[in-house]
Amino acid sequence: MSSKLTKALEFANYRTTLNVQHNALKAKVQTLLSYSTNGGTFEISHELISFVKMLIDKEYSNAVLLDVYQNPIMVDNLNDFLEEILSRYFEAVNEYHAEYTKLKKARKVHKLIDIDIDD
Amino acid sequence: MTKGFLMFAHNNEEIDYLKLATINAYLIKQNCDVHDITVVTNQHSYDYTVGELGKEFVHNAISNIVITEKDKNFKRANNRLYKDTSHTSKPLPFYNVDRCDAYKISPYDETLLIDADYLILSNSLNSCWGHNNELMMNWSYQDIMSERDDPTLKRLSPSGITMYWATVVYFRKTDFAEQFFKTVEHVRDNREYYQDVYKWPGNLYRNDYSFSVAAHMMGGFVDKGIEQLPVPHLYKTFDTDDVHSAPSKNELVFYLEKPRSLGDFILCKWRGLDVHVMNKWAINRVSEELLCQIN
Repeated sequence: MSSKLTKALEFANYRTTLNVQHNALKAKVQTLLSYSTNGGTFEISHELISFVKMLIDKEYSNAVLLDVYQNPIMVDNLNDFLEEILSRYFEAVNEYHAEYTKLKKARKVHKLIDIDIDD
Repeated sequence: MTKGFLMFAHNNEEIDYLKLATINAYLIKQNCDVHDITVVTNQHSYDYTVGELGKEFVHNAISNIVITEKDKNFKRANNRLYKDTSHTSKPLPFYNVDRCDAYKISPYDETLLIDADYLILSNSLNSCWGHNNELMMNWSYQDIMSERDDPTLKRLSPSGITMYWATVVYFRKTDFAEQFFKTVEHVRDNREYYQDVYKWPGNLYRNDYSFSVAAHMMGGFVDKGIEQLPVPHLYKTFDTDDVHSAPSKNELVFYLEKPRSLGDFILCKWRGLDVHVMNKWAINRVSEELLCQIN
């Protein structure tokens, strides 16, 4: 096999691995952005954060919110709820950012996986 | 309200399911901080695994071991092709007849029924406790290599109902949940009839099928009538994949078989997310490493 073809296959393997690792990161972030409270489950999204902040700005202290199942969930303290979802949001995206930055710098398969090549 | 995990673990000639359940119990304790764990097994499996791992090691992990009698006729009849990658496959007994007894067996008010090979590498299932939904299980699953899409895993038959995964089921002790498990039992006991109606393939008895039929019936004969777990997806690998190593806490490195080049693999590091590892031999090969990573 010509060295050109070998390099092309190596690169294809690298791209596939990069794609799989990126999807694994996305899966983790998606899971971390799911928040269950008061018997309901919320997806922490920009929309949810903005909506809750708007309610607080309008001086609501509690409210019924629709969760991912479209069930009505009473949130007793909107300030605490906002604090919790913001904290979880930043925990998730900061971890994503750190891992994604590492992935972008890795140019070899073993660096993407972060394993010793001598193993 | 008491809460706990429940697993079924019946060994066959090659696969030590009770060992898998023991490892998973340690992972549950570490990641979910839940210490009430019940495992249903049989005397032969118990004796073998305790002989291999030691009584103290098994009982430290599992707080409640329930010994049941095995239905030998079912064991002989229900054979499945187990794969250790595409290179090795073996037909072995697949003893899964008693999963519908989970409701009767569970000593907890809230139960998470999971497969012994659904490795708990995060605390995401803790979001089930105290949920409004009294019974939840997933039809949504994702292979960790997303391009390997298998449409046969989505429905019982090409024009049939959506397939639910009995891999993880959350239930509370309520009349609805009790009736659900009675319906699963009814489907199991009248398999030929329900197979004729719902057209699932093959002769192997799978809980995914009987739970899906029960979900369809108990959901009011509506597709996807039972709510899903409060996690975005269940993640799985195939039995044609392998595990390279468990390099650190809650981390596995997989060999994933390429979809268009069978027997050829790429590597994937999987960290901090629960995953269904279908290649049981692979878990066994890294079991020592996995246990070393547990505090």
